[in-house]
Amino acid sequence: MIPPIRLFRQALLAPDLMLTTLCEARPETDAEGHPLLHRTSRFAECTIRRGPTRELLFLPLSPSALSHIERTVATLHRLQSDSLTSYTILGDELHWFDAAGREQRCDLVLQTLPEGCSWNEALNTSSEERLLLALDHLQEEFHRLGFTHNNLKASNLWWNGKRFIPLRYHDARISSDHRLDDGDFDRLRTKIRASFSGMYEGDYTMYGDCDGMCVHDGQAAYSTARETPSDGHLWRGNLFEGLRLVEDETGYGFVDGMNRTVIPSRYLWAGDFHEGRAEVETREGMGLIDRHGEYIIPPRYEVVDYLYTESRVRVRLNGRWALFDYLGRRITEFAPEEVAITRKKNNKTK
Amino acid sequence: MYTQSITRCHRTAFLLLIDASGSMAEEIHFHGRKRTKAEAVATIADDLLFELVERARRDDGVRDYYDIGVWAYSGNDNISPIIASEGEMISVEALSRIPTLIRREVIEYRLPDGSHSLREIPTRCWCTPRAEGLTPMCEALRRARDRMAAWCAEPQNAESFPPVIFNITDGEATDSEEEDLRLVARQIRELSTADGWVLLINIHLGSDNEPGIFFPTENEVQRCRHRYARLLYELSSTMPPTFDNLIRSEKGAAFRPPFRGMSYNASATEVVTMLNIGSISVKTE
Repeated sequence: MIPPIRLFRQALLAPDLMLTTLCEARPETDAEGHPLLHRTSRFAECTIRRGPTRELLFLPLSPSALSHIERTVATLHRLQSDSLTSYTILGDELHWFDAAGREQRCDLVLQTLPEGCSWNEALNTSSEERLLLALDHLQEEFHRLGFTHNNLKASNLWWNGKRFIPLRYHDARISSDHRLDDGDFDRLRTKIRASFSGMYEGDYTMYGDCDGMCVHDGQAAYSTARETPSDGHLWRGNLFEGLRLVEDETGYGFVDGMNRTVIPSRYLWAGDFHEGRAEVETREGMGLIDRHGEYIIPPRYEVVDYLYTESRVRVRLNGRWALFDYLGRRITEFAPEEVAITRKKNNKTK
Repeated sequence: MYTQSITRCHRTAFLLLIDASGSMAEEIHFHGRKRTKAEAVATIADDLLFELVERARRDDGVRDYYDIGVWAYSGNDNISPIIASEGEMISVEALSRIPTLIRREVIEYRLPDGSHSLREIPTRCWCTPRAEGLTPMCEALRRARDRMAAWCAEPQNAESFPPVIFNITDGEATDSEEEDLRLVARQIRELSTADGWVLLINIHLGSDNEPGIFFPTENEVQRCRHRYARLLYELSSTMPPTFDNLIRSEKGAAFRPPFRGMSYNASATEVVTMLNIGSISVKTE
């Protein structure tokens, strides 16, 4: 069964509950914490992170989308090339319960995003000659492999500093007729030359690059602007769910992706946001806040340990431990010993 | 028929008619919690609007693939758009730009071991729950008929995938006899583009314990003793073959088409499933 995009979005926000192997994945989000979703003719997609690795995760929008790529995926495993990146079907990766309470599963597609940058950034950081040589190399490699991308355009190319790596093999074919991309290669060369001759002003639509399987371009989804550090903080962390932990003279607080204050710096210590909650410490003790800085658990405890994968919170007061739920309700009595928290035990969040 | 891809050259339309009568203040169980029917329907409508917006999104923004209307009907022939707009329907691109509240919805997930986990999910919120007065369903359908007739008559829409109307209600119309409803529903179903007739899908949001049916076959509805279920069946469109596989995947392979675009006494989550089926089946460029 193919789920709606709404469920894909929920899975990206709760991967530990709805994804099988990608349970540690974190989606790239906008400043408000919404996953940056895009779609093509047959897939919806989002960029995810697992540790230092960035990947593209695709949701098929119809059963035929998967059958269309099965052969390509199988053949790619046998091809040896530095110019291609992994492209895998994750069987039954997304799981959920339907209206009747039956468990449903759906395959997802995963593609590794190599170290590097988008086409736009490549134009700003590399020479014309180098980029043209890289296109020549990629075209020769396609011919050698018998690989046809069938949708080769700027937004489907990634620059690793040495060569272009094509992305999104949704229309790719392995065949002897490997010259189908040649016209696209010529158009890409024209773009590079136009860019360096000053004709190109950053609007690819004038070159007809917005039709067909147009996925997010570098400026839209891989913009470095959101990550650019700004002055005014003693220290700044990474962006989690649209909020960045910062340290100021007055303590720790949170800013959004545009460095606007969301929660003033008033804490002795704070953790990153996970699933809309963050641990904080004040002079009175530790507590748990929501995205507005409102206390879900007031700051009067010795330890507040939020286990976001369980939607539970371990809380210590006078050396005794209790469990709280996601909404800040105490669900066990304070006990002398630390309360063991496992999902499989009978203490449920509900 | 019903095969036209939805593009900026071949746009389509979606119209949601929402019963906002007084009875929508009744409480039902929805997403594991007690809510009013009005709140549940607003959530359902928001979910559908989200799906429609995301399906029109490309790297250059939300493309103008379709018009969308969300009308509430209540009181004395009070039919009004409930998403902020100047006209009765707006483009999906305009819909995506409407400033909305962000609802921090707490969603309950059932884990494989049977336990539950709560998560807070940020969700865009276009619709505001309403519940007041009578149920002028017939008048709402008449206005939908007129608006869709005008839409289909526009030359640029002649070859488009036909509009889809979702009528979400919890009860019988208070402004008409059954014959009036049959007449206006037939008039809606007879509207068409070159790609097919307008689809009218009736969704009954029930609260009692009578077994629900959705996308029923003729046999199923004959077994249903409730008069209103049979009436809804008559009012609703026959689902085109394009949707058959998805409907069978929901109902079970033993069920054979034709299916009618209706539900009776379906729970709110079944309604969501039905709406998603419709939007999934529609292709965009």
